[in-house]
Amino acid sequence: MIELDGSVGEGGGQILRTALGLSLVTGSPFRIANVRAGRERPGLMRQHLTAVEAATKVGDARVTGAGIGSMELTFEPKAVRPGRYSFAVGTAGSTTLVLQTVLPALLTASGSSTLELSGGTHNPFAPPFDFIDRVFLPIVRRMGPQVRAHLERPGFYPAGGGRFTVEVEPVRTLSPIEILERGDIVERRATAIVAGVPESVAERELRVVERKLGWDPSCLVKTVLPPAFGPGNVLMLEVHSSVVGELCTGFGERDVRAEGVAHHAIDEMRHYLGSQVPVGVHLADQLLIPVAMAGAGAFRTMPLSRHARTNVDVVNRFLQVDVAVSEEPNRSCVVKFGVE
Amino acid sequence: MPAKRTVIFGFLGTKLDEGHAADRWDRWRPTVALCQHEDLLVHRLELLHGSKPSDVSLSSLIERDIAHVSPETTVHRSVVDLENPWDFQQVYGVLHAFARAYPFAPEKEDYLVHITTGTHVAQICLFLLTESRHFPARLIQTSPPKRRADIGPGQFAIIDLDLSRYDQIASRYQEEHREGVSLLKSGIETRNAEFNRQIEEIEKVAIASKAPILLMGPTGAGKSQLARRIWELKKQRHQLDGPFVEVNSATLRGDTAASSLFGHKRGAFTGAVVDRPGLLRSADRGLLFLDEIGELGADEQAMLLRALEEKRFLPVGSDREVESDFQLIAGTNRDLGVSVADGRFREDLLARINLWTFRLPGLRDRIEDLRPNLDFELDKFSRATGKRVSFNKEARERYVDFATSASADWRGNFRDLNASITRLATLATGGRITVVLVDEEIERLRSSWRRRDAAIDGSLTELLGAARFAEVDRFDRVQLADVVQVCRESRSLSEAGRVLFAISRAKKSTANDADRLRKYLARFDLTWDAIHSS
Repeated sequence: MIELDGSVGEGGGQILRTALGLSLVTGSPFRIANVRAGRERPGLMRQHLTAVEAATKVGDARVTGAGIGSMELTFEPKAVRPGRYSFAVGTAGSTTLVLQTVLPALLTASGSSTLELSGGTHNPFAPPFDFIDRVFLPIVRRMGPQVRAHLERPGFYPAGGGRFTVEVEPVRTLSPIEILERGDIVERRATAIVAGVPESVAERELRVVERKLGWDPSCLVKTVLPPAFGPGNVLMLEVHSSVVGELCTGFGERDVRAEGVAHHAIDEMRHYLGSQVPVGVHLADQLLIPVAMAGAGAFRTMPLSRHARTNVDVVNRFLQVDVAVSEEPNRSCVVKFGVE
Repeated sequence: MPAKRTVIFGFLGTKLDEGHAADRWDRWRPTVALCQHEDLLVHRLELLHGSKPSDVSLSSLIERDIAHVSPETTVHRSVVDLENPWDFQQVYGVLHAFARAYPFAPEKEDYLVHITTGTHVAQICLFLLTESRHFPARLIQTSPPKRRADIGPGQFAIIDLDLSRYDQIASRYQEEHREGVSLLKSGIETRNAEFNRQIEEIEKVAIASKAPILLMGPTGAGKSQLARRIWELKKQRHQLDGPFVEVNSATLRGDTAASSLFGHKRGAFTGAVVDRPGLLRSADRGLLFLDEIGELGADEQAMLLRALEEKRFLPVGSDREVESDFQLIAGTNRDLGVSVADGRFREDLLARINLWTFRLPGLRDRIEDLRPNLDFELDKFSRATGKRVSFNKEARERYVDFATSASADWRGNFRDLNASITRLATLATGGRITVVLVDEEIERLRSSWRRRDAAIDGSLTELLGAARFAEVDRFDRVQLADVVQVCRESRSLSEAGRVLFAISRAKKSTANDADRLRKYLARFDLTWDAIHSS
């Protein structure tokens, strides 16, 4: 039984989700203590329980301690069962985080799977659906499995009601991948979505993008959804090279001006563009498990956050693969897997 | 053990939960917010709403919205029809019926009652029904986010009405309990375990019950004092606001007994020149301490029973009943069970008053309490006279040595102690009680107890004649005197036998009490008739 301490490192729900994902991948049971110790409301919260329940279904697992406020959880998966799953997630959690938990194991499962996820698809503090669909999954596909996502309806915080499906055609083993250079940006897109929010909000956001980033008006897309899908407003900025992409978001909030929402996304995008690394902060988080599963590979990213370092430590506990993190000039680092 | 499922009961907030347009999500809606908290997983929401079309459509929208934000939650809607949701009686009745009919399964489910929505009357009714455990639940109160810009679910607070779960409140109650006990003990730090246990119990009973209390114990054990303290305690806790009325039934003999207790109409009998309210009416909303209740006559017993059961009675000579709601404390130094067996006390009245029976030990039976009582009496004297009095060290030792020795009889119990200390304190010049004073007091106590022996000797001499009395061993005198006393109070030899051999009777170890008593008397050349004719 792998023993984890939820109070070390970043110590949030991320350790738990990473551990659940890796436990499904490896079949190794684990126990995590001090879950979210030291927080104002310590222990498991609903969004964590949702991830635990999803992993329990996929891995036919035996679980103890899965309750609100529980500080200790044990998880013993029996076998990964590919197939058809529906996961309904309360809007406080995010569907993409649940996907992140169960997807790695399904990439190498014995059969194909269909996942239907409903709830919030565009929430702050979680990668939005578009990031999964257009930045993360293209790289996964390059490693072998064919994974396609399809958004039926977006869901915003707090009303939720979104839905998307994911089709997974697995492979026996993932192919190693190396992403060390970014290459030229060949595609840019700014998408402003409004639902139940005045159209002018989207227009103002896009005007700021045009002015600040100097993007061509043909890259700017305004999407107006029926009010019943809302309320919701998100601005997504994405860039793609021939190798890799990045997607940054700004969420509309009450009492925050449209210009402020745009600035938030723009600052993040500028930071990525200026860093010259191919793999952005969010993508690095997502890639860690699949690349480690492949047993070899490398990617260059920005200096690892505490969050990411915690994830690396958890990966090391589950997988027999060496992970080396080397600091490089120009404030970048290379994460290398399977080094002798 | 699988975790219990959380079930919340709550009213649809016809104002607070309202809103059909998309901007409803910009507002805090308590019922929806209940299901949005990260640290509260609601498995089932029992949503109560009216049957008006607007209530039905709003509640169905709330159900859909909750399905989005909290797919883990099942919403179960119930129509509760309230013609007037501000009518306390109606709302209470409807909710009471709802709770009675609800299939609660507290071993599997954890219940919360949401009191943020609904009219204030509904909130009060839910509170009352939760406190009375008709809803075996805790309360949950919700409030909107502190910042206006925050569109989150706000805060919730769970309130358990089982106050014993709160340390601070529990310790406050402990303190109140200690104060109550201390009051009942007049602030005396008594050490006798049995006495302290009884007082603890009396404190609980006094606060929790309005039923009569029976205090048993020898003369001077402090029954009257304790009754007064119980009244003070109940008054302090706002359980009664009437006076403390005290009467010794032994003083109520004869024709005026009934009128003293129950009052009379003017002209009810010769001498009844004005209306008299009677002690029972004086004690209305207060406490009546009826000492020596065993001495009460048969008629008075019957009237008292009715007054206790119906809080109404008929004054002497009146044809109109009057009401009085009083708490009764009865005192007795005899075993009322025996009096019932003798036919001198009504069995139904005894049953009515001995729900709570406490036996107060005499001073000799809690001699460890002599020292604290001694200090208490000295203090009391000082307070009453404004004169500070104390023992010198040697004098105190000598007094306590005697007082706690086997030769100190304390026949009159705490009354004797009170008298003794009063004498000492009064005689203490300059406020100092000296060895000389103590020695004199010890002699006084001894002789007063001897005088009571002398009184026994006197009455036996009278009965037996001096010559026959001279032949009776001292060993037998006290016993004989008591037997004679019982015979005098009894109507027949058999009755006296039942009293005297009550315990052997209970054990069925004696066949004929009357015969046994006759033989005992014969040893002293005494007969039943001789005793009753003297």
